[in-house]
Amino acid sequence: MITKEALKKYANLLMFDMSDLEYQTLEEEFAIILKQMALIGKIEGIENVKPMHFPIINYQVLPRDDDKTFNLDVNDVLLNAKETSANQVKVPKVVE
Amino acid sequence: MYSKMMIDDLRQELDENKITGEGLFKEANKLAHKHQEKYNSFVTILDNYNFEGTSNTLITNIPYALKDNFSTKGILTTGSSNILKDYIPPYDATVYKKLKEAGAILVGKTVLDELAMGGTGTTGHTGLVRNPWDESRMIGGSSSGSAAAVALGIVPFAIGSDTGDSVRKPACYGGVVGFKPTYGRISRYGLFAFASSLDHVGVISRSVRDAAIVTDILKGCDENDMTSLPDEDIKYIDNINLSVKGKKLFYLKDICDINYYPNKTPELEDILNNFKKVINNCQKIGIEVYEEEINKNLLNAIYPVYNTISCAEATSNNSNLTGISFGVREDGGNINQVIFNSRTKGFSELIKRRFVIGSYVLQRENQEKLFLNACRVRRLIVEKFNSLFTKYDGFIMPTSDAIAPKFNEKTDKLSDQYLILGNHLIIGNFGGYPSITIPSGFVDKMPIGVCITSAVENDALILNMAHEIEETMTYRGMIVGEEDV
Repeated sequence: MITKEALKKYANLLMFDMSDLEYQTLEEEFAIILKQMALIGKIEGIENVKPMHFPIINYQVLPRDDDKTFNLDVNDVLLNAKETSANQVKVPKVVE
Repeated sequence: MYSKMMIDDLRQELDENKITGEGLFKEANKLAHKHQEKYNSFVTILDNYNFEGTSNTLITNIPYALKDNFSTKGILTTGSSNILKDYIPPYDATVYKKLKEAGAILVGKTVLDELAMGGTGTTGHTGLVRNPWDESRMIGGSSSGSAAAVALGIVPFAIGSDTGDSVRKPACYGGVVGFKPTYGRISRYGLFAFASSLDHVGVISRSVRDAAIVTDILKGCDENDMTSLPDEDIKYIDNINLSVKGKKLFYLKDICDINYYPNKTPELEDILNNFKKVINNCQKIGIEVYEEEINKNLLNAIYPVYNTISCAEATSNNSNLTGISFGVREDGGNINQVIFNSRTKGFSELIKRRFVIGSYVLQRENQEKLFLNACRVRRLIVEKFNSLFTKYDGFIMPTSDAIAPKFNEKTDKLSDQYLILGNHLIIGNFGGYPSITIPSGFVDKMPIGVCITSAVENDALILNMAHEIEETMTYRGMIVGEEDV
């Protein structure tokens, strides 16, 4: 079982909120999800299995030397900015 | 008339100057607009012919569509999400760059389930995508618009992305081919990440041959994607007609037996009977087909393992959508409130639900028993299939447990009965295996398909086998309204 309050906590940790109705739906969905996730625990002898994080271990592309310059065009970047000032992106104040 | 043609025919028309590239683009553009209101395949339809090819290839001047989660410099790229509804990328995805250089002509950016998370085609911010075979039904997702555009004959091929089944399932529901090559075969640079360890680029087309042609253009190592594989020194198209005599496929015996299902339906019976016919066709062309059984606990864990891993990775990958660095910015009293309000307003309910699942499995107290155990079970499933792929050339199954659902129908993805038949395509993503669906018939006038999956780097072989199996049927090149249902 998982409570609506716990779900709200998990959502808020990810910096968003949901409506009461949405939490209600998610609570119901979680009943199925947790039942499904219990199937993972039914597999025996997994304690010594190494977790798989990528399907193929591939070392073909290694980190490049730190000598490449890649510049975005200022005009292209500013296309996506909500506010600009002096040809720069204006962001909200961080220090109050 | 061009809407019925596949790449080779279009190439011939172009080479014989029966039509120009611009003329072909205009035809595709006209069709895209004609079908947009009813089917909603596109987020953006491009109205100007734009040729930037640098070499002559089989796809030079051939129109195509691109899922709206691939970055296209100067062209709106939304991920079908409100949070990115105004985003214009300042750079090109490698896939788009390669297609441009090959001279292919972009017709439009296609609708997806928001941020590629979903399998219904109903969650894009510009509205739901309808199935061209029956507009009361879903096309599936998340590469919904790409599949619909190909099924409608707007373009001969489209590009999608596949994290669990997102190229193959909508392709199946649309009666077309969907191919997901080996993980890393095609660069993911510039593709909006959903779950990086599962994400693949894929091709949707109306024939296996066309899928091979396009994959030949797209494959190759990319210094911008550290998971990309070195190019093979072969062209898939040159190997597509090889004999498949003596090749070995297997399928899951129980899961393909109607008696396994306590609540059997005529629809499922028809799907499994169609599968038997395809197996029979395989045997007629010399492919040996065997039955295998795999521990049910392992197979039943496929969907929850996918759900756990994909939601966890998605939570992390989309943490950059804050309204500060990316995304529509909402007002707020301080920077945290700005981020909070931007994410609350920018994401739809479904996406938020997935993120909460991701957050839950990544909590310190759940990491070991849920997230890491899911990664362990993923390895066990992959090891099982890797061992089977030492005996067999591939794994064949019905692509889906059902025809495309109606919009008002509840899907059975979480039901116990269809936990394996409805979700086995995910195995291809767990192992990074090449996997392809081809149309194999109709049930209730809706297309169904079979899916073939093979060992990592067997891309040429799988295209070859799929091509030869496709030859035993009559669905190659099919578009809506032209079929013999």
